[in-house]
Amino acid sequence: MNSLLDSPQPHGAHIGRGFANEPLFAPATGSFVLHGLLFGALLFYGLLSGFFHHNLWGNPGTGGAIQVTLVSTALPLPADQPPNQNVLTTENPSKAPAPPAPKAEQKVDETAIPISGKEVKKPQKQTAPKTQPHQPPPKPDYRAQFGEQAGSSMPRATMAQPTASNGPVSITNGDFGSRFGWYVEIIKRKVSQNWNRYEVDASTPKGASAEIYFRVNRQGAPSGFRISKTSNSPTLDQSCLRATQRVDTFGDLPRDSNDQWLDVTYDCTY
Amino acid sequence: MKIHFRILPLLLFLLVCLAPPQGRAQDWVHTGTNLGNDRIRISAADFKRVGADPQTPALKATFDATLYNDLANAGIFDLVSKSMSPQTTPGSPQEINLTQWSDAPANAAMVAFGALSATNGRLVVYGWLFDTHNTANPQVLGKQYNEAASDDMARTVAHRFADEIILRLGGGINGIAETKIYFVSSRTGSMEIWAMDYDGQNQHAVTHLGGLSLSPRISPDNTRLAFASMGREGWAIRMYSLELGRMVSFPAGATGGSNLAPAWSADDSKIAFSSARTGDSQIWIADPSGGNLHKITSLKGPNVSPCWNPRTNAQLAWVGGRTGLPQIYTMDQDGANVQRMTDGGYAISPSWAPNGQLLTFSWNRKYGPGDPGGQDIYVMDIASKRWLQITHESGNNDFPSWAPDGRHIVFQRSSGGRSAIWTMLADGTDQHQLTRTGNDKMPNWSWK
Repeated sequence: MNSLLDSPQPHGAHIGRGFANEPLFAPATGSFVLHGLLFGALLFYGLLSGFFHHNLWGNPGTGGAIQVTLVSTALPLPADQPPNQNVLTTENPSKAPAPPAPKAEQKVDETAIPISGKEVKKPQKQTAPKTQPHQPPPKPDYRAQFGEQAGSSMPRATMAQPTASNGPVSITNGDFGSRFGWYVEIIKRKVSQNWNRYEVDASTPKGASAEIYFRVNRQGAPSGFRISKTSNSPTLDQSCLRATQRVDTFGDLPRDSNDQWLDVTYDCTY
Repeated sequence: MKIHFRILPLLLFLLVCLAPPQGRAQDWVHTGTNLGNDRIRISAADFKRVGADPQTPALKATFDATLYNDLANAGIFDLVSKSMSPQTTPGSPQEINLTQWSDAPANAAMVAFGALSATNGRLVVYGWLFDTHNTANPQVLGKQYNEAASDDMARTVAHRFADEIILRLGGGINGIAETKIYFVSSRTGSMEIWAMDYDGQNQHAVTHLGGLSLSPRISPDNTRLAFASMGREGWAIRMYSLELGRMVSFPAGATGGSNLAPAWSADDSKIAFSSARTGDSQIWIADPSGGNLHKITSLKGPNVSPCWNPRTNAQLAWVGGRTGLPQIYTMDQDGANVQRMTDGGYAISPSWAPNGQLLTFSWNRKYGPGDPGGQDIYVMDIASKRWLQITHESGNNDFPSWAPDGRHIVFQRSSGGRSAIWTMLADGTDQHQLTRTGNDKMPNWSWK
């Protein structure tokens, strides 16, 4: 065993000492050369096929590409009202809040004949709920809140509250935005309509914004989504990403633009 | 390393060839939320009258009114009222002054304008859509129409131009200005199938069978109309060809009586309907020619009113009575994967939204003792089962039907013993009545 560890001689020679009659050096080197050739051939093939692209998934071009589009879940209508839990829609929403539902009191049956030996349950006062290790999801409240509130309990696109800024501010690089501002408006509108704010964790600080990058092809279909700048709130990032993915198409790119596709970065601000 | 001058151009050529094609023809924009309102403020200018033909003013009036109404009905625009727009009628891009339209009181972001002339029996319309804030490149659309000069064609051209504008600015969803609504009307004495434009114009009878015909459903290619008709053997599904102008045979729908509620799949390949030929009403599927007839449900209770998922053509929603009261269910087209959508009450007449994600139906949530009355239209998201109540007037609101743009719903409202067809946006706003004569029921919006 020691001879294996501290022998400075080449491997082949050591083996040759043990099996002196079998020539192994030449076949071993031949095997090395063969494996080397195979490996090199594989590398070369990989390199070569890299130059000839076909069947690229998500490729906006034709030929074998399968483009997966996510279906939009929202009503394709503009949302002018801030979201609330009302299940009833009205034409004339008012700013006044709806009255709260009256609490149902536990009734005591006065006419019940007390049976001796059986303990009568007294109406329990509503004690504060103890914190449970597993919070069940809140029971959905189907109560219609009258008070002329616009309804939007449908997972319909909700729009972010318009801030006190002075009108639309879209920063555009390249001259696409200045030539085809209406198309940028369409992109902005469709994605913000598909953005569900309730997907975002309520503890996210106001003003946090996530930036999503995607690419729009000639037919207006977006692809290649990725989070280009995170907002440090994973729920906001994901909901913004999903909002962009929900759009099937923004409509054909303007005919006057010679672009094959448009790179878009979109900010969702909470 | 020596580089020969002869090789250098070759190398440069190779470099250029191997440069990624993505390097050419791309642009980029940056936009986001918190950037303003959602509705596009558009102004539909009166078109300029060209020529002295006496027919022109009447046609122009029809055209202007129809264009204005189509844009107002689209649901995505904030239309500048005629009194707020400048009183000019620009007839060509050279004549328009964009600052007039973008300033107060119009404050329009877009303006549709053009010229109309009716000379020698031809109606020629030039229409443009300009972006008022982009003075360098304002043109968004430029269209030209040349049709026979008549009131109907003036309306049709206005519908086409409005559809182009809605398609452009509405983000790729087609406008509905040229779609039709089929409904049942008893105004001639018997219940026949009628048709009208989506805005209630041009109401005319399609069938003249003299009996009882219900639940019309137009095929996706607008050639055939399937409906349920009371005949000698009872209720049968019958087919009317709009191209041939006569009834065509549908043998699958005639057996056993009580065949009701046909529903076309969006790819024109299947019709689903309910039939009681095996005893209880079940859902059956057949080809439009009547072949390949097979039953897909074997559930207790009447199973009626099927409708297809127009997005996948592989799912159906229907009304099932196995719990005692009619409830909405969905299933795959082979009958598997039955899911219950409604949690009680009396739910009927489902219609599946074009985007495949929403259902609309008529529901009385408080059905039973102490029922205050009234049936209302609801919209439900299928994945989450969250719903929105979109009518809450008194009276019975029933038979909702989605428009192909997913933004409008047509329905039947009955109050005081009379029923009429109403239309509204899919969020319940903008409800208005379309028919005012006779008793009109069971509307069905065409696919295109």
